Parts: sequence; structure tokens; C-alpha cells
Amino acid sequence: MLSCKQQVARSSDYLDGQLSFRQRLLVRHHLLFCPNCRRFIKQMRVLSATLRKLPEPPPADLEQTVEWMMRERSR
Amino acid sequence: MATADDSELLKRLLAGDQQAFRELVTTYQSAMRAVAYAIVGNRHADEIVQDAWLSVVRNLSGFEGRSSLKTWLLTITANSAKNRYKQNRREVLLDDLPSPHGTVDDDRFSSDGHWLLAPFAWHQDTPDALLTEEELRECLEHTLLSLPQLQSSVLVLRERQGLELEEICNILEISLSNVRVLIHRARLKVFATVEHFEETGEC
Repeated sequence: MLSCKQQVARSSDYLDGQLSFRQRLLVRHHLLFCPNCRRFIKQMRVLSATLRKLPEPPPADLEQTVEWMMRERSR
Repeated sequence: MATADDSELLKRLLAGDQQAFRELVTTYQSAMRAVAYAIVGNRHADEIVQDAWLSVVRNLSGFEGRSSLKTWLLTITANSAKNRYKQNRREVLLDDLPSPHGTVDDDRFSSDGHWLLAPFAWHQDTPDALLTEEELRECLEHTLLSLPQLQSSVLVLRERQGLELEEICNILEISLSNVRVLIHRARLKVFATVEHFEETGEC
């Protein structure tokens, strides 16, 4: 069985689907019996989703950039 | 492959619709900046993005839709950055830098690999709830900027821009194993920062 430390080391690969079938089973097996690691993985998932939703400010130089592009286009 | 949205936008761009150019820049500039930042660093990233936009305008009619518009734009950005810095071809810097709130490292575990300091329940545990806190939003932005150059770019491209690992490898010309290492280190630092925020209310 994986230790918690080994589970954490594989966590990103687990979330990104980069583990082999066998490795994935090992992680799932560990998660089944370890509430601490279940919480950890859940929080890692929440963070990924949070970064995905983190609002982005509009580009500061938007109008200037568009003006350059329009000028380049009419060359 | 180009999506239906891509084709629609492309049609308007080719017709010279200024609003379409605004949409293009608004939608893709931050992803392009993350690519430029990975290759040339902060000082020259904006310059490279500007170069890339001009190159996009010049080559727009040659876009054949074999990739998505986003992949095409990011490839042009990477090429602009690499052309400019051909002379000093960058090595992939896997050297790690400490983060203000550390990471999830060996100190968190006992010698047999069990948690010494287990993750605790957060006050907010959904993305929407976390993002209602302005301080946390600022803290996340700050953390992304404080990560080492490649860790930051790779994390932004993966999470914020939703790229697949293989796309990141191809655009930045980094091996898959390096991308995996970079993402993992970056995520653990973000994790430690948010955990610290949940514990203390401070970034």
C-alpha cells in the first residue's frame, strides 16, 4: 500500500490522468482507506477549478494593441 | 482542429472587423503572455506578445484550421520568443525556489510516510466560495507571480488556460516528465499558500 507521502507525490499525475492503470489503482486503494488523503486530493481538485475560474482583468493595452493590428493589416 | 467559434471569429477578422480583433486580444493575450514569459522571462514578455500579434495579423489568411486558433496563436508566440532568443537557447530550469508559505514537503510526514500535519477542513471548499473573497483572489494572483518562471507559466497554461499537458510540451518544447514535475511543484506551493490563508486569513 502507498504511504500518504507517496500518494501526495503522485497526486498531480493522478489528477492529470498521467498514471498507469496499476499506479492509479494503488492511489485509489490508498484513498479508500485514508480520509486525510481524500481531503488532500479534494482540495487539490478545488484549487485547480479555482485557478480555472480566477477572473482575468482585460488586457491593459487592449486599445493600443488593436490599433497596431489594424494599422498592420492595412499595410 | 479549429472550432466553430474559431471559424466565426476568423471570418470577422479577415473582414477587418475591429471588434473581432478586440475579442481576439481579450480572449487570448494572457495565454500568449504565459508562453512568452516561460521562454523569455518577465522583462521581454510584453514585447514578444506585441511581435506575435503583428505576426498573427500578417499570417491570418494562412490559418488553415488544422489546429485550434488558440494553439496556432500560442505557437506563433513561442516562435516569436524563440527567434528573438535563438542565441542563448534556454535550458529547462528545474531548479526550485522556496515559496513564502512553503510547499507540502517532507516536514509534513513522519518517517513512515504518514501525515504528521494532515490537511484540515477549509472554511470555503468550493471554487466559487473561495473566489468570493477578494483577498484570496489577490493572494492567488500574487502566488502565481511569485512562482519560478516556468512553474508559473506551466501552471497558468494548464489550469487557467485549460491546455492539455501534451500541448504545453509541444508549445514550450519541454519534455512531458519536466512539465509534470513543474506542475506538481507549482500546485503544492499554491496549496500551501491557500492552506495558510485558510488558517490565518492572510496571504
